[in-house]
Amino acid sequence: MSKRLRFNAFSMNCVSHIHHGQWVRDDTRQLDYSRLPAWVELAQLLERGKFDALFLADVIGTYDSYGGSRDAAVEEGLQIPVNDPALLIPAMAYATENLGFAFTSSVLQEHPFSFARQLSTLDHLTTGRVAWNVVTSYLQNAARNLGYGSLPVHEDRYRRAQEYVSVIYKLLEGSWEDDAVRRDTENRIYADPEKIHDIEHVGEFFDVVGPHLSEPSRQRTPVLFQAGASEPGRDFAARNAEAIFIPARSFESVRVNVADVRERASRAGRDPEDVLFFIGLSFIVGGTEDEALRKQTEIDELASPRGYAAHTGGSMGVDLAEIDLDTPIGELQGYNSQGFARSLIESAPDKTWTFGDLLRQRAASRIVGTPEQIADRLQEWSDAGVDGVNVTYFTTPGSFEDFVEGVIPVLQDRGLAQREYREGTLREKLKDGTSGPRLHDSHPGGAVRRERLVGVPA
Amino acid sequence: MSRPLHFSAFVMNTASHITHGLWRDPRGEQIDFNDLQLWVSLAKTLEAGGFDAIFFADVVGLYGDYDGGWAHHARLGLQIPSNDPLVILSALASHTEHLGLAFTAGPIQEPPFNFARRVATLDHASQGRIAWNIVTSALENGWRNFGHDGLLAHDDRYRWADEYVDVLYKLWEGSWEDDALLADRGSGVYADPTKIHKIHHVSERYRVEGPFLVSPSPQRTPLLFQAGSSKVGRDFAARNAEAQFIVAPDPENARTLIEDTRRLVEEHGRHRDDLKFFQGLSFVVGSTEAEVRAKEADLEEKIDIDGMISHFGGSLGVDLGQYEPDTPIDTIHTEGGQSGLAWLRESTGGRTPTLGDLVRLRARGTRVAGTPEQIADRLALWRDAGVDGINVVNAFIPSSYEEFIDHVLPVLRERGLARGEYDPGTLRHKLFGGGDRLPDRHPAARYRGAFAPSATAVAR
Repeated sequence: MSKRLRFNAFSMNCVSHIHHGQWVRDDTRQLDYSRLPAWVELAQLLERGKFDALFLADVIGTYDSYGGSRDAAVEEGLQIPVNDPALLIPAMAYATENLGFAFTSSVLQEHPFSFARQLSTLDHLTTGRVAWNVVTSYLQNAARNLGYGSLPVHEDRYRRAQEYVSVIYKLLEGSWEDDAVRRDTENRIYADPEKIHDIEHVGEFFDVVGPHLSEPSRQRTPVLFQAGASEPGRDFAARNAEAIFIPARSFESVRVNVADVRERASRAGRDPEDVLFFIGLSFIVGGTEDEALRKQTEIDELASPRGYAAHTGGSMGVDLAEIDLDTPIGELQGYNSQGFARSLIESAPDKTWTFGDLLRQRAASRIVGTPEQIADRLQEWSDAGVDGVNVTYFTTPGSFEDFVEGVIPVLQDRGLAQREYREGTLREKLKDGTSGPRLHDSHPGGAVRRERLVGVPA
Repeated sequence: MSRPLHFSAFVMNTASHITHGLWRDPRGEQIDFNDLQLWVSLAKTLEAGGFDAIFFADVVGLYGDYDGGWAHHARLGLQIPSNDPLVILSALASHTEHLGLAFTAGPIQEPPFNFARRVATLDHASQGRIAWNIVTSALENGWRNFGHDGLLAHDDRYRWADEYVDVLYKLWEGSWEDDALLADRGSGVYADPTKIHKIHHVSERYRVEGPFLVSPSPQRTPLLFQAGSSKVGRDFAARNAEAQFIVAPDPENARTLIEDTRRLVEEHGRHRDDLKFFQGLSFVVGSTEAEVRAKEADLEEKIDIDGMISHFGGSLGVDLGQYEPDTPIDTIHTEGGQSGLAWLRESTGGRTPTLGDLVRLRARGTRVAGTPEQIADRLALWRDAGVDGINVVNAFIPSSYEEFIDHVLPVLRERGLARGEYDPGTLRHKLFGGGDRLPDRHPAARYRGAFAPSATAVAR
């Protein structure tokens, strides 16, 4: 029996997320992003297909490198306008029972005290189905929107991220003991003050007294996703993340990447198996190969090269409108998303990658074919050590419908996709019974809980 | 023709909000506040009953000490634990069509850029039904949760609020022109970059570049609520707010407060009716006077009086657990909320109020007990004093609202004290009838068109 893969639908509260130029089609609901019905119906579809989660990406600035302005992004609807992702979750959670909800939030965008309370609120009202994708922001404009003047240098962003999650762990794991909440109507005691603690955090970036304002939720800390691929990014992920995005460049690069992160996790004192690895893929599904290829042609005709270039260049801080696509990446200065470039180079050590390769890379991680052909390829990724797939859409919900109706049944027959949801929280579901609802004891957040802060009770 | 009142349900994402101790009663389903079901179901009930809005209060820290600490608050569930109010609104929006969704937040909690986006996201998702209650956070512990040494002085908190709303107005009103969004499938152009502008805001606390990330929502700026009744707070409300939450001890005090504030509104170049006043009241409803008395006695017995005192003292930053009941209240200086003290002085007709007065008045002062007809009589007095709406304080969720909807609202409608069907449109339009957006005379309106290239010199 094969090891099952986990499936997330990868989307964003905007018009054009990854595959640009498709929003003009009649058969996509991308233009409905700002209202709730399309999201609620998508969540219900994903739950029918036994998807593990809907994963919502986010940015808090514009892609403004292409041609030296944000004009291309604005015209393409490329992640601008972009609405808040977390706020969609309650409406979808109320219409589903098992689907998980992962959302992205940057350590630059909110104060950890407010953010921790939002996390607890979401985890309570989803009864433990929330995941947080921790990011450090790569857009200069995001930093200038939030008052930082410019983007803090890479290492500083990760130092901030480490302190940010430490504050979150103290609030979510350490402030309230498990038996603090009594709800004792007889003795008229809601909670036991002896078991609620100040956190008294004093750090480089944040001073937070506490206590946390929400009582412990099912998972306490939501499932933690992360995507960093740079040196400090990988260390951060190895220390903190329970699920990590890695590039789907080749089976070999995945093996190398997985082994490296597990080794780092182990060195950080964690159980190396407490980390799941996800890749991003898109699918074009046909009943026959011809049908799949015909759909591919339709998609390619509408695809916007300018959109892809503005997106990729914007995320690296490079103006691709001015750069010859044949320029080797090693000769370029000033890019700020080091992990992306680094993992590219690592995956192809004997090749001089160019920016053209980089752009095509986005298109390369797509699988076109019949459900059986797609299942064959996914089997290979699973064998390479991948634990889950973030399914990227061309049209929504069309791409997800094709996958749920066409591919999932074949994957289920092969043991590559779950037939039923496991009981419990998202953490228990994702980890296939190897975990309880809370962070693993070897996780730094779990350690906070285990050691229990000794605060000064009231 | 008599003017109908508006009604909002005053709640909080916590077990013990205003009328303390009642989660212990089987009718107090507020004990399930962590569960989304409670709130979705309440929102549906309120909409079926014709309420204008659900209004979520909030705090971001513990109330000040009582008996030397906060153990009392935890045992009582006095707004601890409490969850984020804004996060749950999309679920409520998804299951209602007309109900306004008001929440409370203050400048210390979040950078304005992120806050503006979250609010606009909800205004889109609810099709224009969001209201924001602007607070300046008066709890010491709240400030220390956000890295401050302690509470900022009262007037400085309002200066901060001015700076905060200024950034928000620029983002909500100025960054995107009305016709920036094209969504043109034919040309493949989603939005017109020449009509989306950076705001380049620079002030004492904030540097915000923009552009705003959210396209204009139905109301752009959410309906603005405010509750401060200190001099500075009222001035802030007179300039910015569209609805003010008041807790006057009786209609006559309300009349004076409202007249004074409306005068201030006019002094700031707005119309006197641009600001609506919502009085907070709770109700005990019975079909006979005997039933009313029995219900009120039952309530008096179940209310936690220590909780009422500690809530009031905690909001002032004064530990009332240490004082005798006959201590004159105004001997105590505080940097906390001034509204409560002012309220208390008015309640005792100028006589120096004592802690004993506080206990009595806090529990009963804004409670209206009676048959539906008697309640209607009392509400007519409030309405005639100039009050526009009632923020209905609950004892039990949801039964306090069910009783009000089933027994009181029908009588109010007969007398023209409550409207019938919902009006169409956004929350702002429902309340004011003048369209979805803020009127041109509101200070936020000066940023419309201000960041277009030809206008930036002026705006900066």
